[in-house]
Amino acid sequence: MVNSNANALGIIFPNSYDTLVPELVTERLMASIPFASRYRLIDFMLSSMVNCGIDNISILVRKNYHSLMDHLGAGREWDLVRKKGGLNIVPPFAEKDVKVYNGRVDALASILSFLREQKEKYVVLADTNLAVNFDFNALIAAHVESGADVTVAYKEEPIPEAPLKARKENNVNLYYTLDLEDGRVKKIRINSKKTGVQNVSMNIYVVDRERLIDMVGVAFSNGYPYFERDILVPQLDKLNVRGFRFDGYVAHIDSIKSYFDENMKMLDDANVDALFGANPVYTKIRDDNPTRYIPGAKVTNIMAADGCVIEGEVEDSILFRGVKIAKGAKVKNCVLMQGTVVEAGADMEYIITDKNVTITADKELKGSDSFPFYISKYKTV
Amino acid sequence: MAKEMIAMLLAGGQGSRLYALTQKLAKPAVPFGGKYRIIDFPLSNCVNSGIDTVGILTQYQPLVLNEYIGNGQPWDLDRLHGGVHVLPPYQQASGSDWYKGTANAIYQNISFIERYNPQYVIILSGDQICKQDYSDFLRFHKEKGAEFSVAVMEVPWDEASRFGLMVADDNDKITEFQEKPKNPKSNLASMGIYIFNWDILKKYLIEDEADPESENDFGNNIIPNLLRDGRNMYAYHFDGYWKDVGTIPSLWEANMEVLDPEHSGINLFDENWKIYSRNSGMTGHKISEGAVVEDSMITDGCRVAGTVKHSILYAGVKVEPGAVIEDAVVMGGTVVKAGAQLKHCIVAENVVIGENAVVGAMPTEENKGVATIGSGVYVGEGAKIGPNAMVSENVKDGEEQW
Repeated sequence: MVNSNANALGIIFPNSYDTLVPELVTERLMASIPFASRYRLIDFMLSSMVNCGIDNISILVRKNYHSLMDHLGAGREWDLVRKKGGLNIVPPFAEKDVKVYNGRVDALASILSFLREQKEKYVVLADTNLAVNFDFNALIAAHVESGADVTVAYKEEPIPEAPLKARKENNVNLYYTLDLEDGRVKKIRINSKKTGVQNVSMNIYVVDRERLIDMVGVAFSNGYPYFERDILVPQLDKLNVRGFRFDGYVAHIDSIKSYFDENMKMLDDANVDALFGANPVYTKIRDDNPTRYIPGAKVTNIMAADGCVIEGEVEDSILFRGVKIAKGAKVKNCVLMQGTVVEAGADMEYIITDKNVTITADKELKGSDSFPFYISKYKTV
Repeated sequence: MAKEMIAMLLAGGQGSRLYALTQKLAKPAVPFGGKYRIIDFPLSNCVNSGIDTVGILTQYQPLVLNEYIGNGQPWDLDRLHGGVHVLPPYQQASGSDWYKGTANAIYQNISFIERYNPQYVIILSGDQICKQDYSDFLRFHKEKGAEFSVAVMEVPWDEASRFGLMVADDNDKITEFQEKPKNPKSNLASMGIYIFNWDILKKYLIEDEADPESENDFGNNIIPNLLRDGRNMYAYHFDGYWKDVGTIPSLWEANMEVLDPEHSGINLFDENWKIYSRNSGMTGHKISEGAVVEDSMITDGCRVAGTVKHSILYAGVKVEPGAVIEDAVVMGGTVVKAGAQLKHCIVAENVVIGENAVVGAMPTEENKGVATIGSGVYVGEGAKIGPNAMVSENVKDGEEQW
């Protein structure tokens, strides 16, 4: 295949599941949450698409998207500065009678005329709450071969804890599990309570573009906002919806706790190889110098990006770009985002610091394994 | 649209004294400081000084360098008008010529410079590690009303005879040029960085080319000719960090100085004067349980499970458990297997150091040699490489080289 042109265009919903991580999205959205020392969550979906030759990608932002625009720029780092296609960030129309959309259908309806003009035969849809190196070519090939109307990727796993818990608190459509028969989706369960290993939808879809335009057009004019509940579920007997099992590594970000845990999993080389091994994941370049370990530093079991200066002790932690840890400071089981400064003698355990947090000298901060303590952007403690 | 000043960067040097490191790439492409290549320094200086047009004169093994420079985007040199251009020797109607000397390399590209119609041209060298503000140099050149200026460093008097020296009066006006003299009259060493008024440079390049006796070299021909004609020539004093990394010991030393910016003066942590480079795109580096890391610099993609002391690891270096690295420069993609030891040495890119192999030795009074392993070499299990060795072929298991 000529790499530059998969016959599919990509659509990404960067605000999906924002509500599950309220702390992390006060000044950003799901897609721009930092992950694994130097990435943002959207890097994974974007890179996966680009690595599969999908180079016409629209990002349907809903709110809080300044940090995402800053991160993506013109899309050069993902090789998405293209004459045809490329990166297309679509903000909501700011007209007084248009509401900021709620579901996928609303969002897609706002770009129907764009979708009509495109040439690609297929559309792939994805959220950004998963860090995954996803093979879209395999998904599209399965879709073409089976002649399905819609193909949805799923993973065989127990329903992640966080959405299961959040389900009780509000009744939004949080997650979908699939009942399959010979690969065909017979039933889509919304917020199922079933325990044990399920076919949990990854909310990654491939649909024929013209089919999608029809489906969205009809649903939107009937006032139906949700793709799964309002389009797929009622038509499962008519629509040929098929499942595509994904067996690769997936990091789910759906609570502050899972954010902490998924970062910590990166301390295991096997997980890093599983997530990054297949294809490169691209991100914004910051031109930091290499990380410097000053005499006196003591580190064990860490992952660190460039630009850090480490003089203190660090253990079992993830350090993002430009973190400074002064002499005598102790950092254990922490996730320290970009630009965090830990001053001399501070002692921290089970802490997540957001961007540019300063922990002043000799402060003692302790969270716990089950409840890591989060400190928001620009705070000085 | 005319440019006030453009830069011409001499990057054709073979760097033969770096031998094992420059078998497959030109000296300016030699990796430096963990994530850079030597040429990142002059290029970043240009951009940080506001110069947006750079011609890079290449000749020797240009492949790696060409690919590295690409369209110049990492240095913000992908510009509509100007930007970075790699200029190899080319064929003309009258025949083709290799660049015969530094001056000839510029002479052959007069038409490139004319496209930008600059007032000034700065000539840079692609084999030095230096952070310098060329706009300050240009301000000096203009203030003095100079036709030619050269950046000079004060060197210790007892070392002066190793350099090309500028003898200047109280007003910094150059009165004499001494190339590696026995009896130095000055301790102002030329850094090989010049600013010319373009009209003057062009005139002297054409004149020099017409002289069949000339070596077509700036130091040996152009500068003496300017002096002969009594041109307005000034010496610009530079007192920042500057290092010619033309030899293995100097390259090793410069890398080690990066580890100690407080004393060496080469600070890569300068937000206001970033050094840009093409990024490896690897994940953050990892230091496992049981690893020891002291006084070192480590960058993306590294995985350290052994001991690393006072060393620089470039992108993607793997250090297995029980391996010990000390006083070493280990370039990108190299794997150091369990139990191997690297001491006081330079290991180039994509080398494999077999289990329990020993490379180099800590310096003693008699032997301060820096062992060097060329790129892509396999050093066999249990092999021993002495401190003066330069290795560019695979070494068999258990073999010794001194």
